[in-house]
Amino acid sequence: MTDRQILSEFVIEPGTGKAIELLKGQILRVEQVEGGQCADFNCFNLHDYKEFMHCGRTRTVHGFHPTKGTFMWSAPPRERAMLYILEDTVGRNDVLFPRCSAYVYEASYGFAVHTNCHDIQAEAQREYGLTPDDVHDSFNLFMCTGVDEDGHAFMTRQTTKPGDHVDLLALMDVLAVPNVCGADVMKTSNFALKPLKLTVFAADDADLARVPKTPTLASQRTPKDFRNPTIKTDRPLRRDPAYRAEFPNTPIVITELAISLSPAELEMFNAVKRRDIYGEDDAAALRDLLFSWWEERFLLAHAGAPAIESK
Amino acid sequence: MAETVVKLRLNQQQLELIDRTIAQGVAPDRLALVRLALHEYAAARKAQGNQANNSGKMEGAQ
Repeated sequence: MTDRQILSEFVIEPGTGKAIELLKGQILRVEQVEGGQCADFNCFNLHDYKEFMHCGRTRTVHGFHPTKGTFMWSAPPRERAMLYILEDTVGRNDVLFPRCSAYVYEASYGFAVHTNCHDIQAEAQREYGLTPDDVHDSFNLFMCTGVDEDGHAFMTRQTTKPGDHVDLLALMDVLAVPNVCGADVMKTSNFALKPLKLTVFAADDADLARVPKTPTLASQRTPKDFRNPTIKTDRPLRRDPAYRAEFPNTPIVITELAISLSPAELEMFNAVKRRDIYGEDDAAALRDLLFSWWEERFLLAHAGAPAIESK
Repeated sequence: MAETVVKLRLNQQQLELIDRTIAQGVAPDRLALVRLALHEYAAARKAQGNQANNSGKMEGAQ
């Protein structure tokens, strides 16, 4: 254990959550009190709530069960590492399932009212002026999930014990909003709602030294880079008559490159080309081969995911 | 035997990527880069095929 300075402590009771200002260099510990409890979590840039933790981006970078040594990322076009998972004594979290909602409990179980993560999150963050529309998909701490053979996500029971915890180190000032998942009629929290303990620590130098560097790129844009940086404050959508489309890199222009293949190269090509997809369209098959080769040789991340190693 | 010409159709973004790759010294020009890709891609598939044969499995080209 550590000599970190404790800045604040809370216990969040079943059916509740808590919005916490977590400043850069502070650590939020989410800890099991009795064991077996899922915590839903999201966070916002404390100085610009439009930047929030995005499960889709996080899932693409770190897979379905991010754990110790991974980051929580904000949504495009910000795409910054917001929090670093410094410690995780269990190693089983979920970014497949969205937060549970009132609709789920009414549609599937017949409840007129039931504790649910969307409404708990909304109520906790209302303390900072946010609305139910400002709840985003949650990073589900301690939630044990997987994917069936038919492609559906499933959840099962967890094996967490009292004292198990996840430590989240803030890499920017955030409003962190953990809540006690409201699911007591599902396996998520082993069919019971239990409290969770929250502790905020000041990170020490050793903690900060454990965070891998991530790239800073021009594509990580903020409102100063937006063509429209103004947050819309009314609800109806109306066309802007002054709008002129400015899609990047358009129009897309095709250039033809004549590639001469020797008989030996043609034989080589015919042996590996994806005839199953492109049929006799050799131009398309050769383009596929070219970029498939490029991915294999040069790509540092899974295809479609950003590389996060800093050069 | 005569050479066969395949007309590769690439957009400006795809060309930018292959030109940056060429600029790194991977190949001297676009034609050479495509040929290099073909040779390395085919060699990798052949090695995979041999491996699969040796382990009793055979998979199609990916």
